[in-house]
Amino acid sequence: MFYAPVLFVFIPIIIAIAMFLIKSAKAHYLVFLSQLALIALFVLYVIHLSNDPSQNMIVFGGWDARFAISFYNDKLSLVFIGLTIFVWLVILLYTFKINYRQKKLFFFLMFLEGVFLGLIQTNDLFNLFVFLELTTVLVTILIVYRKGGEAFKAGLQYMLLNTVAAMFFLIGIILLYYVYGTINIRVIASEIALYSEYNIVKFAYVLMITGLCVKAALFPLFTWLPRAHGVAQASISALLSGLIVKAAIYIFLRVNFDMFANIYDMSEMFFWLGAVSALVGVFIAMSQKDLKQILAYHTVSQVGIIMMGLVATGPFATLFTSPGAFGGLLHAINHAVFKSLLFLAAGTIIRVYQTKKVYEIRGVFKTMPWTGIVLIVAMLSITGAPFFNGFISKSMIKYAFKQDLLKMIVFTVVNLGTMISFAKFSQILFGPKQNLVVERQTKQHLAMSLLAIASIAIGTAFYPIFKSLFALTWGGALYLDVMIYVEYFGYLALAYLIYFFIVKRDYLPFRLLRKSPISFLTANSLFVLSMIVIGLFVFL
Amino acid sequence: MNPILSFVIILIGIYGLAVSTNIIKSVFCVTIIEAGLILLFLNLGQYEGGLIPIMEALGIEIVDPIPQALMITTIVIGSTITSLALMISIKIFHITGSIEWKDFIKRK
Repeated sequence: MFYAPVLFVFIPIIIAIAMFLIKSAKAHYLVFLSQLALIALFVLYVIHLSNDPSQNMIVFGGWDARFAISFYNDKLSLVFIGLTIFVWLVILLYTFKINYRQKKLFFFLMFLEGVFLGLIQTNDLFNLFVFLELTTVLVTILIVYRKGGEAFKAGLQYMLLNTVAAMFFLIGIILLYYVYGTINIRVIASEIALYSEYNIVKFAYVLMITGLCVKAALFPLFTWLPRAHGVAQASISALLSGLIVKAAIYIFLRVNFDMFANIYDMSEMFFWLGAVSALVGVFIAMSQKDLKQILAYHTVSQVGIIMMGLVATGPFATLFTSPGAFGGLLHAINHAVFKSLLFLAAGTIIRVYQTKKVYEIRGVFKTMPWTGIVLIVAMLSITGAPFFNGFISKSMIKYAFKQDLLKMIVFTVVNLGTMISFAKFSQILFGPKQNLVVERQTKQHLAMSLLAIASIAIGTAFYPIFKSLFALTWGGALYLDVMIYVEYFGYLALAYLIYFFIVKRDYLPFRLLRKSPISFLTANSLFVLSMIVIGLFVFL
Repeated sequence: MNPILSFVIILIGIYGLAVSTNIIKSVFCVTIIEAGLILLFLNLGQYEGGLIPIMEALGIEIVDPIPQALMITTIVIGSTITSLALMISIKIFHITGSIEWKDFIKRK
């Protein structure tokens, strides 16, 4: 037996405890040791699994697999493990200099990495809930780490909303256990069709999906996300947007695709759920004036796009063969890369300029050339420019519903809105050189460059990479088509026009959008309301 | 009857979250939801005349042990959540001098 999955969980946690206990000033460097060990282990494990695919499940304690806790790895979870280790390495590099003297932050970060890797690998629904709750607790601690009044408020709202969501997820698990007699995901997935007509199974499905909607920050339950982003420091924002939200997408894939998609066809509902959150997110992002809030609302809209892609090709889509679902999965990975990059670059800019107002920051490109360059790479990625990674996944998602005019219009509007708000965002690059103190920070530049390189690499060499990894037969001579360039630059020009003539004037609708936060109490009512709406869709 | 009663408890918790303006009350509404779901799960695994599932009871009729094992974990997680939330509420009280939600629904 090869116990790599267990080590994935325990290496970061043990290193975190060791780092906390050792009273040396150099103890922080242990985090890089742990990352190196994880990367080596990951490579070994992938080679091991490709030689012997039957060893993908580890059952603990020698019990019957129906009742025991088990870890299960397939292609999907391996992709997410690789992504997690990569993003964590980048974030540790970035935050190393800023938080050099703060062992506690590194302790919680490493602990969170172990928990997150467990969340990805587990094959047991209750274990999934435990890891989900641990993630919530640790992320809350990281959000309130700066100890401001606003930080505590946002952290508490994050924790209570997500806890309630996880509790309802747990009720769904309980009902499933009551019907199927097991909480093993693989066993339930193989036996799901037995009781698909039971109302109690449908009810469990509704509860689990509504819980996941909060976790994934879908409309109308996204209110915790911008608040948390506003107060957390840049590296934690990058983590929150890049990975913690993706955890919900991952669980959605496990619960919906593995278990329920075979008996309930909910793909239309999920498509419009994603479409509405993409539209709402992008319109609120257009109206924002705060650098981090713009990015936070874009997370909402990008998660909507991911959702649109995942369910675009109908209920029985297998994840790695149809362009729509694979585009959604790829967009989740790409979004983790470019949104982390955007948050890290924005964090560097905010640190130097000491303000978050998008209209007050000017001349980034001349003051901080390297940050400006990586910021341009990230913005090109998120708007879907050819040769950057966002383009690949967005084209795949578009390809999945190119017959459907209404869906195409929605997708184009979302894309155009993204371009408009990044036309606003890109204004910070222009302008004369500012007289500011810019420290030399090699590690931060290294971290951001790693993400930028990953973004360009996926964008240019995606066909050889994904053909060898997933046997994907889509794409190929994509970049020879002239239309994609015409389309992109046409939309870009239109976006700049709309920005200068409509959004910049700051008309009344934009002011209203900016000033209408949904309170915590309303968010709870909305939770019940969306549960009822999803329930209507499932039962009727 | 009992599962319905548990759902009523859960709904009371949700209702409290949606209307109470006090932070401490909100925290305890989450605890109420948790209590409701623990009762629900224990009810589903229990039947009339079953004994406690400990090892000496082998050979005798025992209730399903998995719900009890899982619910102990849930209680531990719930206490973690509650204590962290209460700690944060204390910090909020120290900083803002109030434990009402409406004081910070207004954003700058």
